[in-house]
Amino acid sequence: MNIIETKNLTKAYGDFTAVSNLNLHIRKGSVYGFLGPNGAGKSTTMKMFLGLTRPTDGAFHINKKRFPQNRVEILKEIGSFIETPAFYGNLTGTENLELIRKILGLPKDSVDDALELTGLQEFKNRLAKRYSLGMKQRLGLAGALIGRPPILFLDEPTNGLDPVGIHEIRTMIKSLPGKYDCTVLVSSHLLPEIELMADDIGILNHGHLLFEGTLDDLKFHAHDMGMPDDNLEETFLAMIDADNQKRRDRR
Amino acid sequence: MSFGMELKKFRRTGYFPAFPAGAAAASAFPILNMAVRTEVYTGLPGNPLDILLDASWQMMAMLNILLIVCGTCMMYHTEYAENGIQKMEVLPVRQISLFLRKFLISAIMAALVILIEFSAFTFCILWWFPHTGIDFKELLSHWGFELVVLLPTIMVSLIIASACRNIWISLGIGVILVFTLSVLPKDYLFLDLCPYCSPYQLLTTAEQNGHAALFLGVCIGETTLAGIAEHIYLKIRRYFS
Amino acid sequence: MNFLSLTGIELQKIRRSKILLILLAPVVIMWLPAIINSERIQDVQGIPITPEHNFFIQGFMGMVWFMIPATLIICTVLLIQIEQTNHGMKKMLTLPINRGKLCLAKFTVLLLLPAVQMVMSAAAYYGSAFLSSKLHGYDYVLPPGYIFPCIGKFYLAALPAAAVFWMIALLIQTPVFAVGTGLALCVPSVLMINTDYWLLHPMSYPFYVLMTEYGKAAKGLYAAEIDWFPWLPVAVMITVVCLTVSCVRMSRYAE
Repeated sequence: MNIIETKNLTKAYGDFTAVSNLNLHIRKGSVYGFLGPNGAGKSTTMKMFLGLTRPTDGAFHINKKRFPQNRVEILKEIGSFIETPAFYGNLTGTENLELIRKILGLPKDSVDDALELTGLQEFKNRLAKRYSLGMKQRLGLAGALIGRPPILFLDEPTNGLDPVGIHEIRTMIKSLPGKYDCTVLVSSHLLPEIELMADDIGILNHGHLLFEGTLDDLKFHAHDMGMPDDNLEETFLAMIDADNQKRRDRR
Repeated sequence: MSFGMELKKFRRTGYFPAFPAGAAAASAFPILNMAVRTEVYTGLPGNPLDILLDASWQMMAMLNILLIVCGTCMMYHTEYAENGIQKMEVLPVRQISLFLRKFLISAIMAALVILIEFSAFTFCILWWFPHTGIDFKELLSHWGFELVVLLPTIMVSLIIASACRNIWISLGIGVILVFTLSVLPKDYLFLDLCPYCSPYQLLTTAEQNGHAALFLGVCIGETTLAGIAEHIYLKIRRYFS
Repeated sequence: MNFLSLTGIELQKIRRSKILLILLAPVVIMWLPAIINSERIQDVQGIPITPEHNFFIQGFMGMVWFMIPATLIICTVLLIQIEQTNHGMKKMLTLPINRGKLCLAKFTVLLLLPAVQMVMSAAAYYGSAFLSSKLHGYDYVLPPGYIFPCIGKFYLAALPAAAVFWMIALLIQTPVFAVGTGLALCVPSVLMINTDYWLLHPMSYPFYVLMTEYGKAAKGLYAAEIDWFPWLPVAVMITVVCLTVSCVRMSRYAE
């Protein structure tokens, strides 16, 4: 069963189309890897899901609810981390999470749970503006994970983390559906990471969805198209390159 | 790095449109004032330019000072916000040159602002005092005087902006200075000669009191001294950073 | 989430923001010179006013003309900056809150800040009046029954201007220009108050109230009674329009 579905979802800024006729199908309880080069439209898509920007055309539903009619109900079910960590620098890690906890109406122990999940316990009483880049990233993730929401949107969650941090976050994301049946939509430039944690993937280029399916499906597809299928990175690069070439030829 | 390059830094920051917009807002004062209270002013004896300046310049000067404070803060905010200043510091360019170019740009913008405001006065004279001719020499001398007495304020605002990484601190200091100095008693000449106070001075009043040359000399002196102080400050800052 | 809880959350966001210092600075700046000038205050220049009333009115003149509006401007921009600096607002918009309610909760915090400043001003007035009395052997201190209602009226009169500044801060993205526009709007109060158009200039309202207090203290100099009509409906209308625009802007904040 698909928990998120989009139908011809489009976002244009003037002449520039950031997302074009996107049809995504995200299965409940899966980790969906959202891939694409910079500016492909991944963040814009997630922003549309969160009501941070309005679609120009098309529609989507999340857990059978629609925007903008059910905006508040949808947001109650989503934990998100979009582009950069968002926090209040003059507050401590705990105070930042307390704000979110109160708004979501969660029990008090959910703050400690989120701090524990992201390895921030030790620094919870430090002002967020004094956090290192990696700690800020973890705080952003804690803000998304607090209350263990049924749907998680994570946009480049491992940016700024050291290899140990990347490993921890990857392991955590991979374990989430098993732990409490959540659905994760995750974008990353680190393709081996996605390969290790995603059940399904969607590849986006210039706002167009080039592929959607399981990793095995992708291998078959790549093989059929005569592209390398040894690992996700090579397949991805070949697919983007072919699409860019097609665009150049069309021009 | 050339003056042109320095100018380019402020493209798309809103800096350049802000000055004519501020000048247009200030210019609305004499025009609206004359439109609303025509009889009061046209009935007054004396030179129309003096009548207009007497009626509106205090307010216009305050707007000009606020515009300068915001503009100088904006200039250094552009440098500090994305750490552009750090790049400048590692390039073979003298910090004081960058500062002086910023001062020159600010002074040019101030000259433009006063020019626009004096155009409004010219319009008022032509419209409401049609029988009085326009004395361009008189207008030019008033324009020049107001520009010179504004220079120390520009220099000091720029120094404050250059010293504060946080725009809110420099803006806060600027606003506090503007208003604290504007409410102080006007009985002391030395206060009138201070930055943030001198821009309220009118050429006619200064001439009547025999202080016109004093104002021009002191303001140029203050500007020069403040510039030298900034040069020393930049050297010390570099030494300690 | 109810409005009060949301306002509580908004208040929590300004912790450690040093906003109390920002509120205190103008109060000190206004009342320190008052002590220094207190001897001159005795000279009422033929105006039928007592020195103690003159002390109070003159001391608050700078406050209502500029410092209250300036504080409001700085507070609006500070509230916006707190949200923008580390993208806190982006997080808030992805949480299940009604954006209109969020806008009004922030505005409520904005209104609480000058209220704190008014309390500080009252304390500063009493401090400087007491010191001046000691210095010159003349009792400058007026009874709280007169002072507090007056300060309360100045505060209430500043609310429409707060709505205007809040709208400006939300509409003008570059904070320095939002501040500049706000400050520029304060400057003409002295001019506006002498025209029939002051009603359309909410920054003049506290000044108008002060002038009526002046009128009461110096009989025959100014109108001693507040002319509620059409002032009140106009003030309410300006406030409602500005808040509506602010809420609409907030609902489209991220776009």
